[in-house]
This record gives sequence, C-alpha cells and structure tokens, in this order.
Amino acid sequence: MSGLYLPKEYLAILLFIVLGVGFGVVTLWIGQFFRMKRPYFEKLVAYESGNPPTDEPRMRFSVKFYLIAILFIVFDVEAIYLYSWALVYDKLGMFALVEMFIFIALLLVGYFYGWKKGALQWEK
Amino acid sequence: MTNKIIEKIQTAFPESITHYTEFRGEMTVEVNPTHWHDVALLLRDDEELEFNLLVDVYGTDRLKLPQSPRFAVNYELYSIPKNQFLRVIVATPDPAPSNSNTPLPEIQTVTDIWPTANWLERETYDLMGLNFSGHPYLHRIMMPDNWVGHPLRKDYPLGGEPVNFEHDRDHPRFAHLGKPVMVGPSFLTDLPPEMDTEKHMVVNFGPHHPATHGVLRLAVELDGEKIVRVSPETGYLHSGFEKTGENKRYEKFIPYCDRLDYLSPMNNNLAYVLTVEKLLEVDIPEHVQMVRVILAELQRIASHLAWLGTHVMDVSGMIHTLVMYTFQMRERILDLFEMVCGARMTTSYFSVGGLRWPLPGAFQDGVKSFLAELAGQLKDYHDMLTRNPVWLSRTQGIGYLPADTAIALGITGPMLRGAGVPLDLRKVRPYCGYDQFYFDVPTSTTADCYGRYLVRMEEMRQSMSIVEQAIAKLKPGPYRTADRKVALPPRPEISTSMESLIHHFKLVTEGYRPPVGQVYQVSENPKGWLGFGLISDGTAIPHRLRVRGPSFVNLQATDPMSRGGFIADLITNIGSIDIVLGEVDR
Amino acid sequence: MQILTIVLQIAILLAIVLLHVAYATYFERKIIGHMQVRLGPMMVGYHGLLQPIADGIKSFFKEDIVPEQADRPLFLFAPVICLVTMLTSLAVIPFAKGWVLADINIGLLFIFAMSSLASYGVILAGWASNSKYTFLGGLRSMAQVISYELPLGLSLVGVMMLSGSLNLTTIVDSQGSSFSSMYLFPQLIGFFVFFVAMLAETNRVPFDLPEAETELVSGYITEYSGMRYALFFMAEYIGMMVMSSIGTICFLGGWNGPFEVPFFPPFWFILKVYGFLFLFIWIRATLPRYRYDQLMALGWKLLLPLALLNIFLTGLFKILVH
Repeated sequence: MSGLYLPKEYLAILLFIVLGVGFGVVTLWIGQFFRMKRPYFEKLVAYESGNPPTDEPRMRFSVKFYLIAILFIVFDVEAIYLYSWALVYDKLGMFALVEMFIFIALLLVGYFYGWKKGALQWEK
Repeated sequence: MTNKIIEKIQTAFPESITHYTEFRGEMTVEVNPTHWHDVALLLRDDEELEFNLLVDVYGTDRLKLPQSPRFAVNYELYSIPKNQFLRVIVATPDPAPSNSNTPLPEIQTVTDIWPTANWLERETYDLMGLNFSGHPYLHRIMMPDNWVGHPLRKDYPLGGEPVNFEHDRDHPRFAHLGKPVMVGPSFLTDLPPEMDTEKHMVVNFGPHHPATHGVLRLAVELDGEKIVRVSPETGYLHSGFEKTGENKRYEKFIPYCDRLDYLSPMNNNLAYVLTVEKLLEVDIPEHVQMVRVILAELQRIASHLAWLGTHVMDVSGMIHTLVMYTFQMRERILDLFEMVCGARMTTSYFSVGGLRWPLPGAFQDGVKSFLAELAGQLKDYHDMLTRNPVWLSRTQGIGYLPADTAIALGITGPMLRGAGVPLDLRKVRPYCGYDQFYFDVPTSTTADCYGRYLVRMEEMRQSMSIVEQAIAKLKPGPYRTADRKVALPPRPEISTSMESLIHHFKLVTEGYRPPVGQVYQVSENPKGWLGFGLISDGTAIPHRLRVRGPSFVNLQATDPMSRGGFIADLITNIGSIDIVLGEVDR
Repeated sequence: MQILTIVLQIAILLAIVLLHVAYATYFERKIIGHMQVRLGPMMVGYHGLLQPIADGIKSFFKEDIVPEQADRPLFLFAPVICLVTMLTSLAVIPFAKGWVLADINIGLLFIFAMSSLASYGVILAGWASNSKYTFLGGLRSMAQVISYELPLGLSLVGVMMLSGSLNLTTIVDSQGSSFSSMYLFPQLIGFFVFFVAMLAETNRVPFDLPEAETELVSGYITEYSGMRYALFFMAEYIGMMVMSSIGTICFLGGWNGPFEVPFFPPFWFILKVYGFLFLFIWIRATLPRYRYDQLMALGWKLLLPLALLNIFLTGLFKILVH
C-alpha cells in the first residue's frame, strides 16, 4: 500500500465503526418507509406524566455534578499513569512500588481532604 | 365525661353552646360560629379534654331539613388519651345575598389548630361551597379549578347539566384528528404559590407515572436531586361517592363501598354496614360477627400483601420477585372470597343485618390451609427484606414522621402505629366482637419507612392469629338478623307466612326507614380509619352520606415526610403511606 | 481483498452478537419468570422461543416519535452513538485463541475508551429530548458512569500488573489453562470491585438509577419510541455482554476450560459470559435499588479505596514472590 502504514487491527476497528454506524442508520432509514407516522399534538409534547410541561426543562442543576466531574478528572489522570506503571512493573521492581505509592499517597491526601470537606457527600 | 365537656365549654365561653344531643351513644355539641375557634382551641388544649385528633370535617346542606341556617360544618373529634369521640356542629350563618352573586357562607378555619383540617376544609369548600376564612390555601381539591358550582349542595343538578370541559372537539388542538374525540376535563397545571419555579426545577410526578399508585399528581419542587416541597394534587379519580350515596337507598350503597379502597372491599363493606346498623340499632348474630371478623382480617392480610409487593416494587425495579410472591398469596385470599361470594375484588358480601349468603362449607378448611402456607411465606418475605442491607439503606430513617406531627395531621392506622402510638380501634373501641380476641397492637418507635414496614408485617401475623381464633370460635348459626324490618325473611317462610311476604315486599320495594338522627362510625381499615357518616331524615335515602378515606387524610403527610429528602425517597414515602386512589378521590 | 474479508468477518460477528442480544432478553425474561413462579414468554413459538424476533419486528414497525421541542439532530443520532460505541468494543474481544478481529495491544484501554464514549449517547439523549425526566436521567447517568469508571479501571490494574499487558489475548494466555491459575483468586478484591462497578457501568439493578422507572419513568430514554428505543436497549445488552467478556477474560481465564471442545473453541468463553449474564439477571430479580447519593457514596468511598488497596497488595505480593 505504497508505504502507508495501515495496521490491520486498526483498520478492522475503523471498519467496525463504519459498519456499526451503517447498521444503526440504515435500520432507522429503511424503517421509516414501513412504520406508521401519525403525529399529533399530544404525542409530540414532552412527557411530564400526563401534564402539559410546566416550564423549561433545561434548568441549572446542582453544583454537585460539577464537583463529581472535577474529582473524576483528577483520578482518571491518576488511573492513566497507573496503567502504564502497571505494565512495566515487573521490570522496575521495588523502586516502582515505592515511587507509585508516594504518588498515590499525595493523591490520597487530596482525596481525604475532599472527603472531609464533604465533596463526596451528596447532602450537606 | 359528657357533662364535663359541656361544663368546661360553658364555663370558658358562656353562650357558646346552642344545642346538645346524644344519639346512639354519640355526643353532638352545636357551637356558635363566633366562638368556634376558641372552643376548638379549648377542646384541643384542655388537660381534661385533649381532643388531639381531628377525625373528619364535612359540611351538610340542610336545604330540605327543618333546621336553619342552611349550611353547617361537622367536626368529628377524638381524644386519644381519653378514648372519647365528640361531634361538633357549627352552623354557618347564611350570607346576605348581594346584587349579582351570593357569596359563600363563611366560617373560621381550624387548620392552625389541627393541621389535618387543611385538606378536609378544602374538600368541604370544593364540594359544599363553604368558605373557610384564614385557610392557607383554599383551593379546589377534587373538582377541576375551573368547575362551576359545588356538587354536594342539594340544589346542584343531578346529571344532564352541561359539563365544563376546557376544550371541546372544535378546538384547533384536535383539528388534525379529523374526527370527534372524547375530551376529558383538562386540569390546570397551576402550582401552589410558594413554589419557586425560578430557582428550582418543578417536576410533575403523575398522574401518568409508574410509581404514584394510580392517578395522583405530585408537583415536586427539586433542588438538584433534593426535594424542596411536594404538593399532591388529587381528584383525577373523583367520582362523587357521597353524592351517589345521597341518592340511593341505604342498602344500595354497599357495592359502591367496594370501589373506595378497592384493595380492601370487605373492610369497607364492614365499615359501612356497621354504620347503618348503628343507625338502625340492629342486633347481629354471633355467627355473623365471627364470619365478618374472619373475612375482614383476611382482607387486611390481602391489603398488606398488596402493599408489601408494590412498596418493594417502588423501592426496587419493576421486576422484583417479591411482588409476584405476595400477589400469589393475595390470590389465594381472593380465591377464598370467590368461594364465599363469587366475586374477588368487588365482594359486597356483608349486608345490613348479616351476610348476603350463608358461608360455604369448604370455607373453613380453605382458610386453615391458607394460613399454614402464609406462615411460611411471611418468613420468606422477612428473609428477603428485613435484614437486606439495600432495603435497610433505602427505608431506615426515610420518611420520618414523629407521633405529634402524625396526630396533628390526623394520620391513623399503621402510619400512626409506626410512629409509636398504639392506637387501634379494634382494641380501644372494639366493634363487631373484636373484644373476644387476643391480639397485640404492633408499634414501632423509629417512625420511618422501616418501622412502618415492620408494623405492617407484624399486623399480618396478628391478623392471622385473629382468623385462627375466629375459625375456632365459629359455630353454625343464622346468617342474618331476625329483624324482619332490616333483613329479608328466609325464602320458604315467604310461601307460608303472609307477614313475611309483606316484609319481603316492603324491603325490596321501599327499603327501611331509619329514625331521624346522625351517626358517624369509624373502623380500623388496613390503611387507617375509614369513617362513614350518615344523616337520616327519616326517609329510605340518607340525607347526607360522608366518607372519610384514610388514604386521603394520610396523603397529607407526603410533604412533611419528603422535604429535604431525595426523589427516590418520595417514591418510598408514597409507598409507605399506602394509598389507594379510589379512596383518596372518592 | 483484505478489507472484504474483514467486512465479512464483522458482518458475521454483528449478526451473531445481535442474535445473542435478542436471546439475552429472552433468557432474562424466562429466568426472571421462573424465579417468580411464572412462565415468562410462552405464546410466540415453542415456549416463546420466537418472542425476541417478534419484539424486534414490532419495534421496527412502531412509530418513531420525535418530540416537537427536541433537539432534532442530536435526538436522532444519540441512540446510534450508544450502539456503535458498544458494538465497536466487540472488535477487540478474543472469543477464543485467534478468534479476534483486532488484536491490538491496548485492548483494555480501548474498551474503557469506548464505554466512556457510550455515556455521550446517554447524555445527549437526555439533553436532546428536552424533557425533565430525561434531563435528570441524563445528569444522573453521566455522574454515575464517570464515578464508576474509576473503580472499574483501577480494579483491573492488578490484572495488568500480573499479566504485564493490556492485550486481552495476552491476559488470557498469562493466566494459563488450569483452574487454580485464574486471576480470580489472587485478584479477589479486584474482582469484587470490578463486578460492582460493572453493574453500575451498565446501569443494571441495583444501580439502574438513570432509568429508574419508579422515579424517572424511564430516565434518558423516556421520549424514545420504536426502533430508536430498541437501539438503546440493544446497546445496554451489548454493554452487558462486553463487560461480562472483560470479566471472563481478566478474571476467569477466558476461553480456557477443563477440556477443549472440538470444532468450537469459544465454548467455555460463551458459557462463562452467560454465567455473568445470569448473575446480572439474578441480581435484578432479587435486590432493591440503591438511592442516588448512596450509589455515589459507595463508588467514591468504598470501591475507590478498595481498588487502590488492591493495587498496593498486588504490588507487594509481586515483590515478595520475586
């Protein structure tokens, strides 16, 4: 293929994505020729337990969700480091263990600080 | 006691009592409307009176009665420490008719004294058209907000009137359908004024929601996942039971009772039949009483089983195994009912003065084998839930409702016992021969959903014990009273006795005519106190029939129980209150 | 030519997996039915065997309702995102020795990435529907999925340390074929954390809060109907299968079994995956649902420290053995 590096494995994944999208879209697209279509007001209105919706659903939501997101990012980055660390752990031995646990301990300080501050607690 | 109450009121407020009667052992005090609020405060707070439970509030329209003024409000009071009932009637002076429209008669609210009066007064306002001054949120509760008129008034037309629908079929909203459609009354979605739609999200739960046990609407103000305020809106299933009852003969209302709390029709039948019998003063044979107790207690078990299954379903997913287990056992009870009266849910088995048919022979063995099976099943339910950590974390400390709040809100039944008040009418005011049985009144001091769960589980065991005792005591006997003015004579007698034929003819064509008077009877239903009030004007049709649904009153506890909790807790709480919408909306 | 072979392989895999998804629903309904002393589907075909097909046909012909106020493009595409991400994970899963479409060396990482992307579909569905229930469901789901992704990822670090690889085939191979050498035993804590996090990640009972029907009606899929709803459903079941496969590969020794089944090497793999599915279903029939804050507390306060502890113990263990 003219020097272009195309690993077979990733090609398979790419094709899989394409086929997956194709499957979803084509099923829905073909379906529209067969399925009934009889929309009217009550069907098209947002579901709110049989009532006309009272106000705009997209409201501001609790700050808790942002907190969770921030905590997630902190720990997810940690997890990524841990993955690469785990793979070469055999080669590094004791040194790696100590090193990583200094790293985790630092994070745990933050974790327990957050716990104490109530970031992990939904009610305050 | 009687005179003490009168004396107390008289000394505190001379001239406040206008009339005093005693009928069928019930005290009725008529109080001057100007003094009513003070008298109410006295009744609640005086150490020797302590009427801390307001059972019921209902209006009467005395249009065709000799009394005046036209409207009166009845307050049924109960004192838990003194075990004493009292009825207070407050006549509301007719307002002076102004030029165009007549204002509603006005009376002072007692919501500040007994918070439970909130909804009861709203209902009276809605259906009877009485204005309660000082009420925090006087608003229609059963009828749509745009309804015209007050249906329970005696001059309200009985059918044939134009129904006030919000949209008719010509409305452009339905144009696309191209053909006429049935349009239901559309409810306005206005919210209680204290709800803050700017700051918080207001979500409607119900009427079409999987967890509201029917057509109940809860307007929930949410801050994230936490509940700021809940406002239950009822009336979607309102079918005017009281109005119907006021246009039927006494006996004919029994099938309607089945539809009140449709999970416990036997208990409803019993409560109503007892009320009419109280009014008529009929003697009930021993055999009949035992059969009534057996069936009522079986029904209590069935109702609690249905509650347990649906409560677990609310807390967990729709596919929880316990639902199927409990409903299977409930089916067994319904099979027994079917054996007794041919119907499974709408039994109508009790009639005034006895039973509708004699008990079938195989019934007793059926009950015995059922009880043996249920004992093992109950153990399974306990194994599945009582120490299940997820169940504990979902119910312990949830829906906290302490005893004083519960009493103020008029809560009765397992809800109140779950708060540690051992109030069971079968114990404190035995009716239908309940004093012959040994049983405990289970209570829980935790006052949360878990405590109420334990109380109901134990109540099933107690009911089983009552049924066992009653089966042992059950002796053959007449299944109807011998009073020919109330119950039909046996069929063979009609062919031989002229008198019997006349009684039969009179009963079937005219029914009985109870004496003039007013009775109110409460019974311990699975969900709380079911109260029936009857006012007789001497004809065969009750002048006023009042139904106090325990679910309706208990539902008021939703808001105090759920505030500060999570959405999930709201659903747990609704399940824990154990409502049946047929009874809430009546 | 090579591309054609791959496409053919993918098509076959897709067909097989979708058939399995369909019959996983049948499996679930039957098992729960029998647990609840009822029969489950019985009417369509012998013992209801054709029920999943009937369900598929029904949802295909059902009206596709798009709410008026919805964000139309996002609303239409959200289920496809969910489905595709879940499906793509299948590409890296080895069903037997050499039975893998893409034997990439970051297999585990790829699956994590894909399952994270799936939550986009959920959030977009919740947002685009523009209804309160879906909005709350979407928010819940987002917070839940990201909270449980951490313990899920960290619980597998022990496995990575033991095998020294992210490649799924290598992980299976490094476990050896004997029963006692499965990673389940040295990684018991890891397996526990993984299992709980897996339930939460796939939104199953007792962590099915995003679609808690008694609270949020149907959560983020409330406004969906017909085939689009079915796609979400498929995605959920494929997710269950992918997670079960990872559990099988990382803890239960993959396709290795007591003896080799001739002509059908993935036999033990499929058996183990169905064992996991059975656990999913069993739990669904038995446990009540956690409340939202309890779910978050469980993830952050119990599973995360446990997963870290597991890494530490595994590290210590390896040092001591060497």
